Amino acid sequence: MTEIWAQAALWLGLALIASLVSIWLRIATALSEIVVGTIAQLFIGAALGSAILAGDATWIKFLSGAGAILLTFLAGAELDPMVLRREWKQAIAIGLVSFAAPFLGCAAVARWGLGWSTDASWLAGVAMSTTSVAVVYAVMLEFGLNKTDYGKTVLAACFITDLATVVALGLIFAPFTVKTLVFLGAGTVTFLVLPWLIPRFFRRYGNRPSELEAKLLMLCLFGLGALATWADSEAVLPAYLLGMVLAGTVGKDHALVRRLRTLTFGLLTPFYFIRAGALVSLPALVAAPAAFVVLLFVKMAAKVTGVYPVTRAYRSPRQEGIYTTLLMSTGLTFGTISALFGLSHDLIDQAQYSALVAAVIASAVVPTLIANAFFLPRHLLQSDEAPQADPAATTAAHVRRSS
Amino acid sequence: MIKKILVGYDGSAAAAQAFDFALDFTRRYSAELHVLAVARPPEFGTEVETEAVVESSRRHYGHLLKPLKARMATESIQAKFEITIGHPADQILRYAERHGIDHIVVGHRGHSIFEHWLLGSVARQVIAHAPCPVTVVRR
Repeated sequence: MTEIWAQAALWLGLALIASLVSIWLRIATALSEIVVGTIAQLFIGAALGSAILAGDATWIKFLSGAGAILLTFLAGAELDPMVLRREWKQAIAIGLVSFAAPFLGCAAVARWGLGWSTDASWLAGVAMSTTSVAVVYAVMLEFGLNKTDYGKTVLAACFITDLATVVALGLIFAPFTVKTLVFLGAGTVTFLVLPWLIPRFFRRYGNRPSELEAKLLMLCLFGLGALATWADSEAVLPAYLLGMVLAGTVGKDHALVRRLRTLTFGLLTPFYFIRAGALVSLPALVAAPAAFVVLLFVKMAAKVTGVYPVTRAYRSPRQEGIYTTLLMSTGLTFGTISALFGLSHDLIDQAQYSALVAAVIASAVVPTLIANAFFLPRHLLQSDEAPQADPAATTAAHVRRSS
Repeated sequence: MIKKILVGYDGSAAAAQAFDFALDFTRRYSAELHVLAVARPPEFGTEVETEAVVESSRRHYGHLLKPLKARMATESIQAKFEITIGHPADQILRYAERHGIDHIVVGHRGHSIFEHWLLGSVARQVIAHAPCPVTVVRR
């Protein structure tokens, strides 16, 4: 056990460093963990051997996989089902365009431009098709658009995009067999029964120190995950769907969601994202950077081509439309999940994985930087277009006080 | 005539000084005091974490504003408190424009590397683009 405890201490030490970096730089913890994992692999891997951070040990794979499943479930549970019910036509239209444009564009470029295999190209399309609901949600809050029909529709559309991504990931690479039918049938029954069963179970047995809610949810998630992988599909597919179907019940139980987040962020996702970062080969990336640059460019171009006209159709002002579109080009969580799925199922090699993860990270950073550099503060851009105000009207009095 | 004064508040020592200054200013002009706290989501946010940060920031600023609310209850000044989400300078400017603010008071404090890189100083941005006079209270 000594070796396991030592490894666990090492991983959690890295997680702690990543969290501190994310606080100091005010960036997402997942991003920080991936980068820390990549850098740590370079140094610790060179000093102690690459196996330590490659996460080949069964217990690391379990914690890492459980992190992806719970994170995906919680992401699905953030959906507002009322909005999706009311605006489903527009949300599905925007969401599918936002998925299909980069999916097809990046897959085509990977296949014919980069010469990747068919499976690797499809996987590249899936990994680059995602949208970060979180980033769009934050922007909607900033604009105060989260209460408008436009904002709600765009947010619901982001969920549709991510749903399309996990469905594609779960079904494209799975051979269609009897197992697939069993998985789909059992999944459908479960998704119909659980929204009825879970609220009743929670009312009867919830709010006890033994945390029955968390146990039941994890039972369902791991059970469906086992069924999905048995059918050669991906465990995050049922997790995201379960999150969405339980969004109206579990998603509204803020105390339960907070406890699940504590478990997920405190223990599980650091293993997932650090491992995802540690598997990136920087030498391979430096040797052939074109793939990552091309994939990033095609993703952004495809998102802009697909989504911007839709925002204009909703009479969104030009700046806000571009800003929203750029932020719909971001996507870290599902992009990383897709890339790691490809590597662990031998659909892509380590160089392709490195290019994909780099493109996914860049797609979280670059569109945000562009949007912030050119469209922040949005307020100022609007006032710049207005007639110039009298400079004398704006004065600044600097008052120096001793503390 | 100054009728509405806005102070940005983040719980720091600089913000506390800015609040004291704004309160004094409000008394002198018999104005209305608006206190704005801005919760910032992380840059390059990811699923689940962003909502968690927004939720916890709202709670955090709710707690920070409580003593100020209690203090204002003893004053005969009309005061409004609000928590918004976003980049501080942007939110302060938006709020000032939306509520017809006549004077803005902000504290001056250090920033993270990324904040400086992406946005520059909050106080500098507010000064540069505010629709009204701005006071920056330095420690």
